[in-house]
Amino acid sequence: MTGWSWAQLGFVGLATAVLAPLGGKYLAAVFGPGKAPGDRFFDPFERLVFRVLRIDPRGEQRWTSYTGSVLAFGLVSLLVLYGILRLQGHLPFNPTGAPGMSPMLAFNTAASFITGTNWQAYSGETQASYLAQMAGLVVAQFTAAAVGLAVALAVVRGIAGTARTVGNFWVDLTRSLTRVFLPISIVSALVLISQGAVQNFHGFRAATTLAGATQKIPGGPVSSMEVIKLLGTNGGSFYNAGGAHPFENPTGFTNLFDLLLVIVLPFAIALMFGRLIGKRRQGRALVATMAILFAAHTVVGMQAESHGNHLLPAGVSQQVTAESPGGNMEGKEVRFGPDGSALLTVGTMGTTAGATDSALDSYTPVGGTSALVAIVLGEVSPGGVGGGLYSILMFVLLAVFVSGLMVGRTPEFLGKKIRAREMKLVILYVLVVPVVVLGFGGASLVIGSASRAAGNPGFHGFSEIVYAFASAAANNGSAFGGLSANTAWYDTTLGIVMLVGRFAPIILAMAVAGSLAGARVHARTRATLDTSGPTFVVFLLGVIVIVGGLVYLPMLILGPIAERLVT
Amino acid sequence: MLRVHLLRAVLMMVIVTVVAGVAYPLLVTGIGIGLFPHQAEGSLLYRHGELVGSALIGQSFTTSDGTPLPQYFQPRPSAAGAGYDPTASGASNLGPSNPLLVGFIPGVTTYRQDASVAPVNPFATVADPFCVPTDPKGNPIVVVDPPAGQRYARTSQGGYVCDPNTIPERAIAYRQLNGLPTGSSVPVDAVTASGSGLDPDISVANALDQAPRVARARGMSLAYVDALVHRSTAGRSLGFLGEPGVNVVELNLALGRSTDSGGGR
Repeated sequence: MTGWSWAQLGFVGLATAVLAPLGGKYLAAVFGPGKAPGDRFFDPFERLVFRVLRIDPRGEQRWTSYTGSVLAFGLVSLLVLYGILRLQGHLPFNPTGAPGMSPMLAFNTAASFITGTNWQAYSGETQASYLAQMAGLVVAQFTAAAVGLAVALAVVRGIAGTARTVGNFWVDLTRSLTRVFLPISIVSALVLISQGAVQNFHGFRAATTLAGATQKIPGGPVSSMEVIKLLGTNGGSFYNAGGAHPFENPTGFTNLFDLLLVIVLPFAIALMFGRLIGKRRQGRALVATMAILFAAHTVVGMQAESHGNHLLPAGVSQQVTAESPGGNMEGKEVRFGPDGSALLTVGTMGTTAGATDSALDSYTPVGGTSALVAIVLGEVSPGGVGGGLYSILMFVLLAVFVSGLMVGRTPEFLGKKIRAREMKLVILYVLVVPVVVLGFGGASLVIGSASRAAGNPGFHGFSEIVYAFASAAANNGSAFGGLSANTAWYDTTLGIVMLVGRFAPIILAMAVAGSLAGARVHARTRATLDTSGPTFVVFLLGVIVIVGGLVYLPMLILGPIAERLVT
Repeated sequence: MLRVHLLRAVLMMVIVTVVAGVAYPLLVTGIGIGLFPHQAEGSLLYRHGELVGSALIGQSFTTSDGTPLPQYFQPRPSAAGAGYDPTASGASNLGPSNPLLVGFIPGVTTYRQDASVAPVNPFATVADPFCVPTDPKGNPIVVVDPPAGQRYARTSQGGYVCDPNTIPERAIAYRQLNGLPTGSSVPVDAVTASGSGLDPDISVANALDQAPRVARARGMSLAYVDALVHRSTAGRSLGFLGEPGVNVVELNLALGRSTDSGGGR
């Protein structure tokens, strides 16, 4: 890594350090009791929504009812999106002539977008109509993000609050759309357009190239999708090439702007948590944990990619010079260079976005491992919108419990005792994702047609398959793209894995919150474990790494580590 | 209770679809085209009033059979369709140790059918020790112990025809095209495919390596072509984000204008 790459990383750190606290303050005002900035503007519209939905915005739900609303909304989203994707060939606004998707592919895509995974087994240019992209996929990207934030709010109210209720889902959903996702999206989309990202309703336009051939220049409402893809930690792009496509991510500036769109909000949500519970230090402790993990996997990824691929012949110069980016450039764009590419791609792996600007499949084994590790550590660096917060809170409860056992005290978090019932739910939460990843991943290896779908030989092919399931279960959505994933087996199993990976953790986290909601808050004593100091941050990091590491280490050894050792 | 949840979910879905699925993209498109019409439409390039492409989307500069035209700067290899096809954007997705990318490296990527590794590359040629052979249709054969009856493409001297898309072969072709000595250093971006397959840029080193050939083919002075290269070089965004690059489409467009006006000699 050169001084330039450290400068880019420093810029990201600095911008996040400035923006996340502002965001945390704003979010706490919006979702806490009392007045919030913009009430005069947003209130009338929100009241209209509540009237149409016939809900009392002050009427709060128990955790069961709240979860019921989440699941009902998920089911309706799934069915509507499935219908649009199946019928897009017959619906208007289809200038590129995309035909309706097959049942399997439509199920996979619908499951993928309503869970915020945005695994894309289809190719955006030719297999999705403009209507499906705008009114189907983009809507799912907005709602998946808003649902994530709503669930996080409910979990926070349950864990920290004194009431037995956890808030109102429809209110949280509406307010996060009107006051967070839509306004930021509109402004950010214009920033992207100013840099060269496209936004129009043309189909392909035929150009006669300088050398006399014909080239079809694509169009589409790209920027409006690009923004919520990032801001909602979704990751699904308008075009097949995703963030590598010059019409989505045209300059070195947009590359970093994209990264900030992904990571600032999850950090801000962790700080919002601190403000909402009246313990800002607690929010900062979570942010510190997230930031350390983020820096670790991102720097390893950048380092590995700028170092290059040692298997290239000696005559190919991978040296970084003033006139050449050097490094491992297969699957990477010149305008980002190897470390700028890894900064966005590996940087967003610790969120559920998985927004790549380069081909992960062509990353060096160490670079690929840094991405995979970010995913299997539970995506808490800084995690998805909302998902990052409730995931790390589950790890916090686990850490509190383990440390309680070590010092022989009743474990407590925010003054509430953590009992066997909550611990059972937390352990289920930690185990559900590895079980589906390793189960379906293992099955794919022994099913001949499924294992032959790998596009690369040897250990790398193994990585492609297990990566797909890890990515789907963690709702990440990035891929080792060489896997031929649009088959009946992968469309169906990955669709199921995405749904399980989204809703099982939501239900379990909500159950934990419900179990703690209204529990007695004990006064702090000298013996109470401090959960917001540096010691606890280190302990929490240890718990995250050990849990993720123990479960997935064999998989990492058989995949990228073996590939690195034998080649 | 379930019916109430579902009813509210349907109503909410309708509202969000109207607001986020219709109003939002229309609003962004309206303002976007109003404020930044050139960018929103795709940074289109015209010559004599005719659409020749986009400043952000790379192009191939080859004859119809894929031979590079020497009078144009050549872009990076592309995995988008047959090359720079925007209807099929994407990367090669070849792993870092895939023989299709790095060639048959003896003892490392010389895979047999049973996935074990052979100690030598039986297809090595004098020019390319990492040669991956092809069949008569041009498809690469990626195992060193192919099934019985496998046929190979042969050169007129009887040697193996190597897959032209491996990095070692691309490096050989790059040196040949640009008249560089055997074994000389080749910039990595010149022999690797980009993530989008549409990368409009090449590195400055890559452009400067090609400049003498382009100058010769166009009868221009090298100093003039080098100056054009530097003029088509975009620095880092805001001075420190991303990498500098030379936009091949704009550079070749500028070259064409100079040739038309008889400049550059």
